[in-house]
Amino acid sequence: MHGIDDQLRELLPRLRRFAQSLTRNPTSADDLVQASLEKALGAWAGKQPDGDLRAWLFAIVYRQFLDAHRSASRYKRVLELFTGSQDDHYAPSAERTVVAQTTLAAFERLPHEQRAILLWVTVEGLRYQEIAEILNVPIGTVMSRLSRARQALRQLSDGEITSPALRVLK
Amino acid sequence: MNDLPPTEHDLHAYVDRQLNEADRDRVARYLSANPELAEQVRAWQHDAQHLRAALSGALHLTPNPQLDPAAIRHNRRRQRGRQWATAAALFVAVSLGSVGGWHARTVNLASHMLPMADALQAYRMFALKDGMANDWTLATSTDAQSWLDRHFARADRIPDLAGAGFTPVGGRMISTEQGAAAMLVYQDANGRKVSFYIRPPGPQHYLLDRGARRDGELQADYWSSDEYNYALVAPADDPAVEPVRRGLGRAI
Repeated sequence: MHGIDDQLRELLPRLRRFAQSLTRNPTSADDLVQASLEKALGAWAGKQPDGDLRAWLFAIVYRQFLDAHRSASRYKRVLELFTGSQDDHYAPSAERTVVAQTTLAAFERLPHEQRAILLWVTVEGLRYQEIAEILNVPIGTVMSRLSRARQALRQLSDGEITSPALRVLK
Repeated sequence: MNDLPPTEHDLHAYVDRQLNEADRDRVARYLSANPELAEQVRAWQHDAQHLRAALSGALHLTPNPQLDPAAIRHNRRRQRGRQWATAAALFVAVSLGSVGGWHARTVNLASHMLPMADALQAYRMFALKDGMANDWTLATSTDAQSWLDRHFARADRIPDLAGAGFTPVGGRMISTEQGAAAMLVYQDANGRKVSFYIRPPGPQHYLLDRGARRDGELQADYWSSDEYNYALVAPADDPAVEPVRRGLGRAI
């Protein structure tokens, strides 16, 4: 009856993995997937996406994440206005610091734009063109973002930069 | 053979196997003649392999029945317009200033969330921080119980965890969809932290059977009185916390 359901079920583990890499929190990740699937099913009823279903779903998850992230940032700025503090909501745990030499730990320290692009390219094997369509940017922009992400991952894995925040700024 | 040096674009596409055969051969030839560049490309390839291996485990999460398309369709009919954005504000703490020692913190919770998810979130957001802004501390003139009683008229007595080595060190008010909540943080001599969390059951008067659930590295033990929901949040696998849970069973 719902032809898309089986395809969605098959893709669910990938969507959850992507959402986890964005939110870094299993509960929030499943919330994100749930909200994205609601959106996807709503949109599916009206218009079926062209091309790869997986890329279309990644795009929905990512946009939902960005929306939430933006409103979170707004609240965070309000907080800083009142308290004058940089209340970072993601402080690496001691465990993360200990295993910082692994690629995964380095990955988790990257900004979300870079995590998304690395996961799409290297883990999911999406074509650059598909990513350009997800992000709605030219393919050259995808390439330069990918290049920055790779270099950042490399540097963090090598321990060349422990954290950009630790640099002394004068 | 006079190959042009590959562009950076070519090198990435080589790593990602997105070149056609002729270009792939061209880049491979160039790399074999330029060991320094080849080393860089090899490092990228290794990073990619490590990342694939590291993230492969995340494909085998425990199934979540709420994410099944059939369940989503059902929910879509039932509750329209629920915004992920509100759930995502879990990450967010909003201060409305410190007038009268009251720090309002917004912890938005989607209604479908697991029992006492806000207690776990509060522990992660605030308790783990050494510089947690407190509404109650040891320096406050009243004790923790009086502080709590001021906000929760008919609350249970706070658990006495001294037998397990944990004493109250700080408390703060948090605002949730269900109303004002409070978290009291206990600490032991080694700096381990557990939290006691109390909030009203919300408009639906949703009371909890006694239970426990694990969420990542944490465990929440929860229960309800006639008036409030409670949770004790602590590291799940730390043996030093076991006496706390045992003590809790006797205390309530």
